[in-house]
This record gives sequence, structure tokens and C-alpha cells, in this order.
Amino acid sequence: MVEIPFIWYGSLLLPIIVGLLGLGSSRGKLIAALSAITLLIPLGIIMTSWIIYSPEEPVADSIKIDLTGYKIGYFSLVVDGLSLPVLVGISLVTGIVAVYSLKYMTTRIAEMEEQGEKVPGLGAYFFLYNLFAIAMMGMALSTNLIEFYLFLEISLIASFLLIAYYGYGDRRKISLLYFIWTHVAGALFIAGVLYYGIKAGSFDILRIQNGSLIYVPMASAIIGEAAKIAAAAILVGLFIKMAVFGVHMWLPYAHAEAPTPVSALLSPNLIGIAGYALARFGIILFPDILQKIKYDLMILAIVTIVYGGLVALRQNDFKRLLAYSSVSQMGYLLLGISTLTAFGIGGAMLHYLTHAIGKAVLFMVAGVFITELHGLRDIRRMSGLAKYYPFTAAAALLGFMHLVGIPPTMGLWSELLITIGLVKAVPLNSVDHVLLVATSLIVAYGVSAAYAFITMKRIFYGKPMEGANHEIQDGFKQTVVLLAVIGVIFFLTISLLISPLRQSVETLLLAGLG
Amino acid sequence: MIVETGSLVAPNSGLMPWALIWGIPYLGAAILAILYYLGVENKAVHGWGSVVSIGLGALVAVDALFKVLREGPIYAASTTTWVPWINVGVGVYLDGLGAVMAVIVGVLSFLIAVYSVEYMRHSWGIPRYFFFFTFFVASMLLLVTADNLILMFIGWEGTGLASYALIGHWYTDEEEYWVGVPGRKALGIPMYFTPSHSGVRAMLFTRIGDIGMMIGMATLFLLTGTFSIPEIAVQASHGGWMVTLASKGVLAAVLLVFTLGALAKSAQFPFQEWLVTAMTGPTPVSALIHAATMVKAGVYFMLRMAPVFLLGAAASGLVAGELAKYFVIVAGLGAITAFMLATMALVSNELKLILAYSTASQLGYMFVGVAAAGAILATGHAEVGEIASLGVAAGLSHLLSHAIFKAALFLIAGWLIHAAHSRFIDYMGNYAKYMKLTALSLWLAGLSLMAIPPMSGFFSKELTLKSAEEAHLNWVLGLGVLTAGLTAAYTLRMILRVLHLPPKKEVHEHPHEAPPLMLIPYFLLALTALVIGIAWFQFYPSLAKAISETLGVEAAIDTVKAVFGISLSAVTATTLGWVFTNIAVVAVLYLLVKTDFDRILQTSKTARVIHDFLFDRWYINSIIYILIVGGFAGFSMFLAGVDHVIDLAYHAAIPALFALGAAGLRALHRGRSDYYLMLYVYFASVLLLFLYIAWG
Repeated sequence: MVEIPFIWYGSLLLPIIVGLLGLGSSRGKLIAALSAITLLIPLGIIMTSWIIYSPEEPVADSIKIDLTGYKIGYFSLVVDGLSLPVLVGISLVTGIVAVYSLKYMTTRIAEMEEQGEKVPGLGAYFFLYNLFAIAMMGMALSTNLIEFYLFLEISLIASFLLIAYYGYGDRRKISLLYFIWTHVAGALFIAGVLYYGIKAGSFDILRIQNGSLIYVPMASAIIGEAAKIAAAAILVGLFIKMAVFGVHMWLPYAHAEAPTPVSALLSPNLIGIAGYALARFGIILFPDILQKIKYDLMILAIVTIVYGGLVALRQNDFKRLLAYSSVSQMGYLLLGISTLTAFGIGGAMLHYLTHAIGKAVLFMVAGVFITELHGLRDIRRMSGLAKYYPFTAAAALLGFMHLVGIPPTMGLWSELLITIGLVKAVPLNSVDHVLLVATSLIVAYGVSAAYAFITMKRIFYGKPMEGANHEIQDGFKQTVVLLAVIGVIFFLTISLLISPLRQSVETLLLAGLG
Repeated sequence: MIVETGSLVAPNSGLMPWALIWGIPYLGAAILAILYYLGVENKAVHGWGSVVSIGLGALVAVDALFKVLREGPIYAASTTTWVPWINVGVGVYLDGLGAVMAVIVGVLSFLIAVYSVEYMRHSWGIPRYFFFFTFFVASMLLLVTADNLILMFIGWEGTGLASYALIGHWYTDEEEYWVGVPGRKALGIPMYFTPSHSGVRAMLFTRIGDIGMMIGMATLFLLTGTFSIPEIAVQASHGGWMVTLASKGVLAAVLLVFTLGALAKSAQFPFQEWLVTAMTGPTPVSALIHAATMVKAGVYFMLRMAPVFLLGAAASGLVAGELAKYFVIVAGLGAITAFMLATMALVSNELKLILAYSTASQLGYMFVGVAAAGAILATGHAEVGEIASLGVAAGLSHLLSHAIFKAALFLIAGWLIHAAHSRFIDYMGNYAKYMKLTALSLWLAGLSLMAIPPMSGFFSKELTLKSAEEAHLNWVLGLGVLTAGLTAAYTLRMILRVLHLPPKKEVHEHPHEAPPLMLIPYFLLALTALVIGIAWFQFYPSLAKAISETLGVEAAIDTVKAVFGISLSAVTATTLGWVFTNIAVVAVLYLLVKTDFDRILQTSKTARVIHDFLFDRWYINSIIYILIVGGFAGFSMFLAGVDHVIDLAYHAAIPALFALGAAGLRALHRGRSDYYLMLYVYFASVLLLFLYIAWG
């Protein structure tokens, strides 16, 4: 393990400093550039570590905050193979979307001011944006449940304010709706966590000991009815955050009406972290319970994939469609994790990054039309846009290919690993099993392909609509193409992610399930 | 254990230069994309850039084939692993099958790319066209030379993506690019398709199969720990994973799921519908992707995997039983497809549609060729090596000859449609007068499709029927023979109407011969169909040599050569007789009697019912749309309703409940002291009552 002081604390602090300095400033270009650079630092750190050390080496901040006196444990910041795709996804997407934000938010703020609304300026936006971004990174880097929860709260407050200030539609009501739902989720999560943590005498999940990262065997002794209730609280809390079928209803509102760059972070990045937390914490805290309900969870996952996909198919608002697609994609994460196999969990974590890239690209595409075609987001009014926006159309196609798992995007790898995990968890011992697995996956993956390609057709093909001009590839739209192409690069260089992932997932399963 | 001639299970070469076969076209595609992004829109740059990168790839492939025939298989692999954990490396597997396929794909792609430069000259979206064209060729070459299933799958998906993009190339959906008769409906479902609609259909139909293929790959990986095809073959030859699956009684089911990808890709029943409407793509695309190469990927899959599966049959009797079941089902689907699509071609009035039906139908023959050979297992008559040889010989020969003559037919169709300014044959006629070389080409390619000796199509079709005959699959054989006659009938009808009979509808065009860049490719192809046929007995030993050098074909070259032997059996005689009967009937009806089919359709209800049944493709499209598409659409609507209810429950009912509670509580506090006093007395007495009961 590589331990360097301030490496992560510094990475989290810099964007905040940029945000604070930018508050009240009107030099939007400079703030956007500095935000992007500082948000990309974690990615840079990881890549440097790949070159100097090896991708398998976890990178930790050697500074840790000792709260053992309060029976909380240590707050440290580490990235290992399991959190690698999460951290890469957050750093990459928040960095690129920061650049994208500049034109989008300038237009949005001007539009709101035109409508006579008083709205905080770009400086305030970037402060909240950076705060939101580093809070998500903090969650990915956390080793302690309380630490994770604190970052979670910061992310919720920052994103709530972003929606409340800059959102669309009935934004005050929707931001409140978002706030209440996510706090119910947070409360359930922390209630369950408190039970486990107090029983164990510490909230540490991971600990750095003698230069290596080990799981704290806290849960093995904690069993019984109360533990089950605590586990249920944590599970439901995480499911609400993930927007699994049944408790997904907040997501279409929040993600559709948030300002689009924020949707591009909310939708793939933030909700996916709940999946990451389920894998990282759930398997350590209550492995037996997960083992017992894994088939139910698989069914829930398939239902979520199909439900989200089919409801997405009925949407006419581009952003709401993407929001339902996120519900569906969370089903993929849950499906992988619920197999409780190394392949499945590894696939789910990879799919975090796949979805982070793909869905961010798609929201950015939606934002391009909102910005350049006078707020256009009703798919029924779009047609033949590929004629005017060929590169944006190509980016959108790549975005959808991520979600559907078509090479040359990295979606192939995550979908493949999840599939291997599923076949391992449901051994093909009888013709019935073969039919069951085949039918479920064909329907689930097939529905994803259906909404993806039907939406491509509705928006980009057909008779070109009136009122659009040929696109000019400015910095705004270049970011969209760039992010889509990065997904292709990850397809080629997947070994950098997959080797450390394998090691970490196997360690996790060993620590949790034995 | 694999010990005999053909099988190579360990790398014997470095990755280069063999990876260039697909490496150069991929690089070419990437460069074209970057150039376009940088603003280079010059048509010649994109067109010839594509031609050159494909040509170079093809050259390496040709070199590889000569080397394979001379020195045996090449297995070129990188020393590093591309994707650890699932152990996926980059390897080029050029055994006889792989090398022959690479050459077929490379050379045909090159010729069609040249044709495309001329064909697309006046069209729009040229950079996009050549990007996807080149990307397609690279993916197809990767598919047929991959040493492992994942690499093969990546090529597989790449071809699917390019196919989707090129079918929908004219995505602005003007009516001239549609397929089907505008306005026509069957069972209430529209039977005309825009390019963008057809693209989605192609993607979704094949995606269903691909998911099955992925499940199959995952299963094999979990049982063998590898995706490497030679490694899987070695393990099959020990029994290994095949015995494990067979002992649970799931071998046939798992293999069928695995084969779904091949069935969908090759448009076999019930997946055939996507291929029919894929004809909205530019005609060179139909020639290359939807006739000569991509739709053969499914056949290639069978050619690649069937010998591997058969290795397991040699190891265990348990496996053989399940395997025979699997092969019979696949052969049956092939035969049904062959027959069904041939009947549709009889009545179609769109030139490319006739050819598309014919393609799916001929693909059916190839499936019969490979799979029926596998079904010989059940008879216990033949050695596994012979079975594999016959299967690969039948499938590969017909694949080869069909690739050549069907590519020619489509390229000719491209010119004819251009000349007629219409896709309907009603607007074509008497073209033999205006374009002699094109007419000659059409006759040559057409005769090959009709399987008239000595055209190459005759020999290859014979082999596929031989498979069915030796497996004693009489119904498959019967359908095959029946279809051979129908094939001759619809092909002759098409040729006569286009070349020698006057057009049905009035036309004002004055057609002329095609420009050289278009004429030369199809003329060469048509000529090749003839030359291979005439020189069949000089040609097949090379093919036999290649087959004997193929993974899993455990047979000496003499065994393979013996398979090719054509004996004038009863089946051959019957087939030929039936084919000539059909030819005679069509000739008489069209040339002598000059039957007016339109009048018959107007007067006879029976004729109309039969015609509509065939013309509307047995109503299968409508049934799929009503049941499956409609089912999912309805379910989707239902779920959107459910979602609304959930929304109301959370965001209306729960807030309303709270509001009600709040109102109730507020109502208690009205600021009137008499009211408070009354409440006080009431609750105090209730409390006292409780206390009394508790103590009492």
C-alpha cells in the first residue's frame, strides 16, 4: 500500500478552496477551469500511482483522524480496487462536467434572470458544485461508517441547494421532495449503522494496519432480531438512495428537474454510491442476511431493470427518460452485487463507472439541446437531429452503448462480469434453470437495448426538425464527445481497473462470507 | 484428446503480422473518424482511404491462407493478457476455416468497397458511410480470426453496430429509401419500413440472440476457466464440460441458448424478419453485410463450434445423445427457414427483397449442411471425424459459393435499381437489350443460385442435402429438395422479368450499362461463380486441405476429400428433376403463355389469399408485432400507470394523510376555554378509568 500524507485530504480541500475563492467572483471561465483541474487531481493521482507503483496498490492518506476515544474509530481516506472505479468515475465526470457547466449555467442563469428571478451567480454555483463533487469523493474514500455518513450529508445538502437554486419546473417543491426522501434514506441508514457500530465499539469497516488495508471483523458477533432490524434499515436506506423499484419515486423528479450538469452527477454518480456502499459495508456488516435473501434481491434487481426500462420507454421528456433509465441501471448494480460472487460484485463496480460515463454523456447531450434549442427537452418535438448534430448524435449513441453493454465501450466488460456472476449464483442444473436465467436476462438486457435504440431513433433520426442549425464543435460540446471517447479508451485499457478490482473483491468476500 | 492433423492448441507465432488482418481496417476506421472530426469531408479521401485499408487487410489474409495451406495452421497470440481475471488475450487463430473465411471477407469487402466509391458518389453522409463500412470489415475479420470467444463476440457486436448504422444510413427516412409497399398493412400492422425503423429492428432482433450467446459464453467460462476456443476444444475432447452439462441433462439447452446468437445473426426462423427489412441500407451494404459476410457469422459460428462439440461426442456416449438432439433442432430451424423464405421470394415485387428472402433461405441450407451432419451422430453410422468433415465441407462450401454469387446479385441489383429509379421490379424490364455485360452477370450469378450444374452453387447445395440424407432426417431433406425447386422458380422469374420481359409499369428511363467501377466488381464475382463451378474438381482439394487443417476436424485429408465426392444419387436426380420442372413451369408461364398474374389475383379469391399470405411474409411480422412488441408496449403502458399510482401514493396520499392529521390536531386548539375544559375533563376521566382498571 502506498501512504502519502495529505494526498487525499489535499485533493478534497483544493476544490473547496477554489469554490470559496470564486464565491462572488464573476470570472466564470477561470473558476470553471480551476474547478475542473482540481477535481481531476484524484484521477491524476491514481494514474501516477499506476505508473510508479502498480494498479493493484491501494493509495492511502497517511493522516488519519483518531476518534477512538469517542468509540467511533479512525477517519482515513483510502482508495483500493473496489472503490477505484467509483473514484475514477466521480473525478472524471465531475472534472469534465465542470467545463461543460460553464456555458450551460451561464445560459441558465441568464434565462432565470430574464424571467425576473433572483438567482445566485456562477461563483455560488461552482462552490456548491465542487462541494457536491468532493463529498462524493469522500464517500468513495471513506473507511468508516460515520465518516461515510458525514460526506453523504454534505453531498445531500449541496445537491439540494443546487436543485433549489437552479432547477427547473416547480424547483422549490421538488428540491424539498428530494431533501425529504434522501433524508429518510439517510436516517434509516444511520439508525442501522449506529446499532452495529455501538455494538462493535467502532464504526471502522477498513483499517490501515502495518502498511496494509484490512477489514475490521466487526459483524461476526452481532446477530439476533435487533441486528436484523438494523440490517433492514440499512438496506432500505441504501435502496432508497439507489432508487430500486418501489422506492424510486423521488428520482425522476429530482434528476429530471435538476440543472442538467447536476443531473449528470446525480444520476450516475451519487445514486451508484449506494450500490458501492451495499457491497462495501453490507457484505461486512450482515453477510448472513444477504446470503439468505440473495435470490429475492436478484429478482428485485431484474424487476428494477425491466420496470425502469419499460417506464423510460413511455417518457416524452428526455431528461425524465434518462432518469428512469438510471433506475433501470441501478438494477444492474444490484443484480451484480446480489449474486455475492466475485464476478458479480466486480461487474457491478465496473458498471458504476460504465454508467457514470454513459449516463453523464446522455445528460450532457440533453443539456446541449436545452441550451442551444431554447430549452427543448420534449422528445415528441425532436426529430432528425443527427442531421444538425452529427457529433452529438455519435456521443449519444456511445452513451447508450455504454448502458446496453455494446463494445467498443466498457459496458461490455461490466455486463459480461455481471452475467458470469449470475450464472455462477444460479447454477444451470436443470432445463428450468437454463430457461429461467436465459429468459430473465434476455428480457432485462433486451428492454435496455429497446429503450436505448428507440430513443436514438426518436431524437436523432427521421425528418429533420425545423429551427436547428448545424452544430459548431465548441468547448461545450467537445466535452461531450471527449467523455464518450474516454469510455472507449477504458474498454481498451480495462486491465488497469480489473486487476485491482479482482483482488479487492476477493478480499471483501473472504472477509465477509469467509 | 486432440492429436490428429488439423488441431493446433498452442500459439506458434507472435501476434504480428497476422493481427494486421483486422488491425489495419480498424486503424483505417479510426483515422477516418478523426479526419472527419477535424473537418475533412473530401469524398475521395474517405472512399479510397477505406478501400486501401481494407485492401491491405485482405492482402495479409490472402498471404495467411497460402501459408496455412502450405505449412499448416497459424496461431498468433500476444504474450500479455488483455483482460486479466477472465483471462482474455489477443490472439489470431488461422486454421483452415479461419483463413478461408478471412480471405472471403477480405476480398469481397475490397471489391464492394471499390463499388461503393462509385455507388455513393452522389449520396450524402459519405464519411459516415465509409467509417462504418471500414469498421464493419475490421469487426468481421476479427470475428472470423479470433482465438477466443470474447474477441469473437467483440467482432460480432461490432458487425451488428455497423449493420445497424448502415441499415439506417439514410436516417432522414425519405420514401424512396423505404422497404415494402407504402400504405400496405397486414393484420393491421404496417408492412413498410423506414431506414431508421429497420435499423432499430436489426439491432433488437440480433441483440436478443447475442444475450443468449453471452450466457453461453459465461457458462462455458465457468466450467472451463477460459474463453479460448482451442482450450475449450481440448477440454471437450476429454469430455470435461460437455459431460458435466450432459449429466445434468442440460447440454442441448445450454448449447441452444449459446447458439441463439448465431440463429439471430443469420436470420434463421424465428429471427428472419430483421434481415428482410435491412434492405433499406445502401445496396453495397446489403451485398456485403446482409448477403456475403455478416449474416454468415452465424454459419461461421456453427462451422467453428460444431467440430468442437463433436469432439465431446467422441469422449462420451451421454454427450452424443444430447448433442444429436441439439443438432436436429438447429437443422430443423434451418430447413424451415430455407423453405419459408423461398416461398416469400416467389411473389415479391421488390428486387432487393427477393434477394433478401433468398439470402435467409440459402443461409438455412448452410445451417442444414452443418447441423444435419452433426445429427448423423444419432444414427451411429459414421466416425466423428467424418461427421465433422462433412458438416464443415457442406457449410463452408455453400457459404463460399453463396457469398460470391449473392454479392454479385446484390451489386447488380444496386445498378438496376439505380437505372430504374425504383426498387420495384414492375418498373424494370428488357434490360438485356441495354446492358449486355450486366445481363450476362445476372444470368451467371442467377444460375448459381438456382444450383444448375456446373455452377458452384450446384456442388455446394448438393453437399448440404447430402448431410441431411446421411442423417436420415427425411423431413429436413424433403424441405431442402422442395426449396431447391422454388429457388429455381423465383430466380428465373426475377431474371426473366428484369432482363427479357417488358416492364409492367410505364417507364421513361433509358437505361445504359453500368460504369466500370461498378461493373467490374460484379462481373468478376459472377465469373468466379462460374469458374469455381467448372473447376470444382480442381478446386475442392484445396478446400478439403483447409478443412482438414481446421480445429476439431479430426480427419485426414483423404477422409475430407472423400466427403466432397458427388455421386449421382437418387436425391441428386430428384432434386435436379424438380429444379428443371420448376424452370420449365416458370418459362412456360412467363414466356409462352404470358400469364397475367394481376388478373388472376383480381378474379380469384383463393389466389389472392395465398398471394397475400406469402407477400405479407406468412404474417410472422404482424404476429411478432402484435404479440411481442404489442405485449411489451402494453406492459410498458401499464407500468407507467403503476408508476403514476406509486407517485400518487407517496406524493399525494402520504402528504394528504399528514395534512389531515395536522388539521385534526389544529382543530383541537381553537382558543375557547369551554372547549379546553371539556377536553380536560374527558381525558382526565379516561385516565382515571384506566388507572382504576389497572389497579382493580
